[in-house]
Amino acid sequence: MVNGFAPATLQEALAIRAAQDVTPYAGGTDLMVENRRGVSYLFLSKIPELRQITVDDTCVRIGAAVTFTEALADERVPQIMRDALAGIAAPAIRNAGTFGGNLGNGSAKADSVLVEFALDAKLRLVSLSGERIVPVEQFYLGRKKLDLHSDELIAEILLPKTGWENYYYEKVGGRNALAISRVAFAGVLRMENDRIVDLSAAFGAVADTVLRLKDAEGMLIGKTVAEAKAAKEAFLSRYEQDLTLTRGRVSAEYRKAVCLRLLQAFLEKFGI
Amino acid sequence: MNGISFTLNGREVTYTGSAADRLLDVLRRDYGCTSVKCGCKEGECGACAVLVDGVLLNSCCVAMGAVDGAAIVTMEGYCKTERFAVLDRAFADLSAVQCGFCIPGMVLAAEALLAKNPHPTEAEIREGLSGNLCRCTGYNAIVNAVENAAKEGNGLW
Ligand SMILES: Cc1cc2nc3c(=O)[nH]c(=O)nc-3n(C[C@H](O)[C@H](O)[C@H](O)COP(=O)(O)OP(=O)(O)OC[C@H]3O[C@@H](n4cnc5c(N)ncnc54)[C@H](O)[C@@H]3O)c2cc1C
Ligand code: FES
Ligand code: FES
Repeated sequence: MVNGFAPATLQEALAIRAAQDVTPYAGGTDLMVENRRGVSYLFLSKIPELRQITVDDTCVRIGAAVTFTEALADERVPQIMRDALAGIAAPAIRNAGTFGGNLGNGSAKADSVLVEFALDAKLRLVSLSGERIVPVEQFYLGRKKLDLHSDELIAEILLPKTGWENYYYEKVGGRNALAISRVAFAGVLRMENDRIVDLSAAFGAVADTVLRLKDAEGMLIGKTVAEAKAAKEAFLSRYEQDLTLTRGRVSAEYRKAVCLRLLQAFLEKFGI
Repeated sequence: MNGISFTLNGREVTYTGSAADRLLDVLRRDYGCTSVKCGCKEGECGACAVLVDGVLLNSCCVAMGAVDGAAIVTMEGYCKTERFAVLDRAFADLSAVQCGFCIPGMVLAAEALLAKNPHPTEAEIREGLSGNLCRCTGYNAIVNAVENAAKEGNGLW
């Protein structure tokens, strides 16, 4: 075809990616709105390796070209992720939009990426010379800044199979359907023997990338619910101090207030 | 150079232009499918919606290279079906059409919904049509029309 390649296998796609100046194309919902001129697309939707969801001992592995609609219908995909997917746009966009494209677009408003941060997801990046497994926070560095080499493709998103069950997810947009996040929050709490062994609190759409304050998260780790309650005030003021937000369609003050409310609601959901 | 082959409303066609061209533009310009409307070119309005292998997509967000081998249905083809006749009657009965600009997309969104879920609740209908904007009729009449079509067309979906 003119100005495009539609390989049938991943190997073929990687060979084209290495040899030519092509733009990977998954669902097109970001690319076609951008409407770049004179590009040559590498169409990924016919590559079976990128279109499957599989489960191994520890991970749910989602192919980069799996659409949001497909993942929503798959019970193996963690519910926190499916909550986020259900809030994306409207059916026709979810039918096309993919996990790889959400990452590849490099926006801090990407709803599936927020959940990937909260779950410490890893990405499998592949090229002709091999593969790299990279934690999402080391991949997703800032607005349109990704640790992706020019010969690589995102192949899979690796989510933990368990450990996400105690979660709180909320997206605040301007309306119900077709709303881009103004602030989005994903929090996960893991308890063992009545103690918090892990806590993540990720904020989307408020800065150049998804935000997590790992030092602040650490303040509650190792504590019982009662101890966490006692430390709550200090915990919240730490976020008030350290969350550095940018102005978007709404003011930074508004976003900060919403972030803190969401953080509070997350703790309250688990009795803290 | 091989072209991009697909079926359009059941007819086999081959497109020899650029794989980066927009499906919306090609359907209107090269194949005369003017039921496919352009309201935004940003995926926001649903007026350009078509069925690709039975899946509702906004054709403004689809590049031609992505439809190689696909089966595309627009209102030009869908209007010949029994299911359309049911939706057509329901929309007419409830005066759910005013200027009509949004309607081809709206009806195809209803088809995509009913094909998956023949007896949707009101909330499910609203969700199914949530990507389709209508600037004149107001949504209640449209939602009621789809509800009626689901009842009348019992067994068709
Ligand atoms: C009306 C509308 C509403 C939207 N609402 C939301 C929303 O609520 N939440 C949200 O998060 N997003 C939203 N989006 C944005 C978009 O739908 C998502 O970002 C989607 O995930 C993009 O996926 P895609 O497959 O369509 O990407 P594409 O447009 O195909 O690609 C996007 C980018 O990713 C790159 N890419 C794609 N796949 C790979 C790969 N495997 N390896 C390397 N690079 C790759 C491409 O080169 C490109 O740079 C919306 C978009 C529209 C048009
Ligand atoms: S023209 Fe495609 S969604 Fe508006
Ligand atoms: S009838 Fe006019 S836009 Fe819907």
